[in-house]
Amino acid sequence: MTHPYFPVLMIFLFAGVIVVSFLFIAQLVGPKRPNPIKSEPFESGNPPKGDARIRFSVKFYMVAMLFLIFDLEVVFLYPWAILFRRLGLFGLVEMGIFLSVLIIGFIYVWRKGALEWE
Amino acid sequence: MDLTNLESLKYFYPEIILSGTVLLLVILDLVIQNKRVLAPFAALGCLLSLGATLQLYGTSEGWLFHRMVVLDNFSLFFKVVSLLAVLLVIWMSVGCHEIRQIYQGEYYTVLLASTLGMFFMASSTNLLMAYLSLELVSLTSYILTGSLHHNRRSSEAALKYLIYGGVASGSMIYGMSWIFGMTGSLDYAVIREVLHQGEANRLTLFMAFLFILSGFGYKAVFVPFHMWSPDVYEGAPTPITAFLSVGSNAAGVAIMIRFFFPAVSHLGEGGNWDFIPGVEWPHFLLMVSMVTMTLGNLCALGQQNVKRLLAYSGIAHAGYILMGLVVLNNIGLRAMLFYIVVYLIMNLGAFLVVIIVSNATGREDIEAYRGLAWRGAAVPATCMAIFLFSLAGLPPLAGFVGKFFLFAAVIKGEFYFLAVVAIINSVISLYYYALIVKTMFLDFPEPTDQEVAMTPTVFPLLLILAIPTVFFGIYWGPLFHYTNQSLGFFIK
Repeated sequence: MTHPYFPVLMIFLFAGVIVVSFLFIAQLVGPKRPNPIKSEPFESGNPPKGDARIRFSVKFYMVAMLFLIFDLEVVFLYPWAILFRRLGLFGLVEMGIFLSVLIIGFIYVWRKGALEWE
Repeated sequence: MDLTNLESLKYFYPEIILSGTVLLLVILDLVIQNKRVLAPFAALGCLLSLGATLQLYGTSEGWLFHRMVVLDNFSLFFKVVSLLAVLLVIWMSVGCHEIRQIYQGEYYTVLLASTLGMFFMASSTNLLMAYLSLELVSLTSYILTGSLHHNRRSSEAALKYLIYGGVASGSMIYGMSWIFGMTGSLDYAVIREVLHQGEANRLTLFMAFLFILSGFGYKAVFVPFHMWSPDVYEGAPTPITAFLSVGSNAAGVAIMIRFFFPAVSHLGEGGNWDFIPGVEWPHFLLMVSMVTMTLGNLCALGQQNVKRLLAYSGIAHAGYILMGLVVLNNIGLRAMLFYIVVYLIMNLGAFLVVIIVSNATGREDIEAYRGLAWRGAAVPATCMAIFLFSLAGLPPLAGFVGKFFLFAAVIKGEFYFLAVVAIINSVISLYYYALIVKTMFLDFPEPTDQEVAMTPTVFPLLLILAIPTVFFGIYWGPLFHYTNQSLGFFIK
């Protein structure tokens, strides 16, 4: 075989080909019905242009905070998943307790209406 | 004894019960419409946890969870103190009008979570655990401080507390990183061994301690880390002010003793601790102690708001408590523990009377106490006089005995100048405590002053706090014996 990192180069090339071809195909065959809002750069719902010192909704903070909490749990799930066989039943029970605590938090967030945008 | 995770659970019931109560409170708050059951439920959880804590007395001491936390008499003592504080504060909250405007479920949940953090503050033997527990207590304290919604003072206090706490704990973890860099370990026992070999640079070590002290000092309210306290105490709901002034303060002292004694000092003969040679740390603490008590007392003199006055008095008391650390022996530590219990009782009592007056009048300034004894509140006024004279350290009250032990320890350690400063400070403090008493008894009420009536929930609590304040002033033997017993550190 050639260099051991040759497959990685292949992946880069393959990814590049896919991206470029998708852009061109979309340009060629996609329907085009532009409107002012659609042609703005995407900024996760904020107006992309204007003064930086504007008031924006506190709901963004709420979403960000909840995302952080429930996203970070994955940090704990990964090592557990890797060592799953060695930790055995103890690990399973422990992770079960951890997740049930998180689920209680999730139910709380849900019932208090923090997930509703309006 | 050095236990693994699963084996440790057997010695971990107080924490498990408290965590379970926190989770159940969240669920109960969602499913139950009648929010009045939440406070008794929280209190029940605390009582069960207290029972479990008392059960652990007499079992073998040792490290739990791979040397993350330690089970010894010292940590059990602070668990009992935190639980007593939170139980009394829950009771106070039930009788407080301010608290009824707050979301009940969240309030008690966060209060108990804070108590859990205090458990870990007293028992962690690893810098990482120490930092995490301090953050747990801090974050919950910010929420509790700002829990009065649509109240500018409360929000302002919470924001100040948050910013100040963020900076303080940031410097603390920076100092911890220095310690880790010098010793290569986060474990207290290893840190002690490495530091006592004397290879660490003294100046670096001193600076690291200084950084770490900023975190401890902010929790235990020492100068120059005290700036947040008057604003937070004034803005927070009164039961939370009471909780912070005794619970969080005691936990700050606990984590500090744990760090400066078992973690970096060797226990020598006769209960004397040998500090790391060449690092003049105790002398630095001596100065901090003197400045803290003097500044607290001088600033308290001009205060018109009673909560603010008690905040400055709290700073002064933190200074008194710190004296026990300076002498570096078990006599001083014992006096500190004794004083913490006494301070808990009398300070909670003083805040309870603040609640009674603010329930009736909606005010917290000294004017609101004018002729309190002649406005249908003779019992609260008398109890307030007991608490305040005890805080000032007059015999035959518990505060006098506590101060006596502290001063005796300092004099035995031959820090005469410190003792003189402390005694002068006690005299200064008598002025502003006595001023409130004078306003309550010797000034007569104006026709505009409202009658002050007590709610039935508050009256027994008032007696529960006032009776020990007198009782321990006359017969302190059992409490002294208990604090003496609580000095057991598990070292190795």
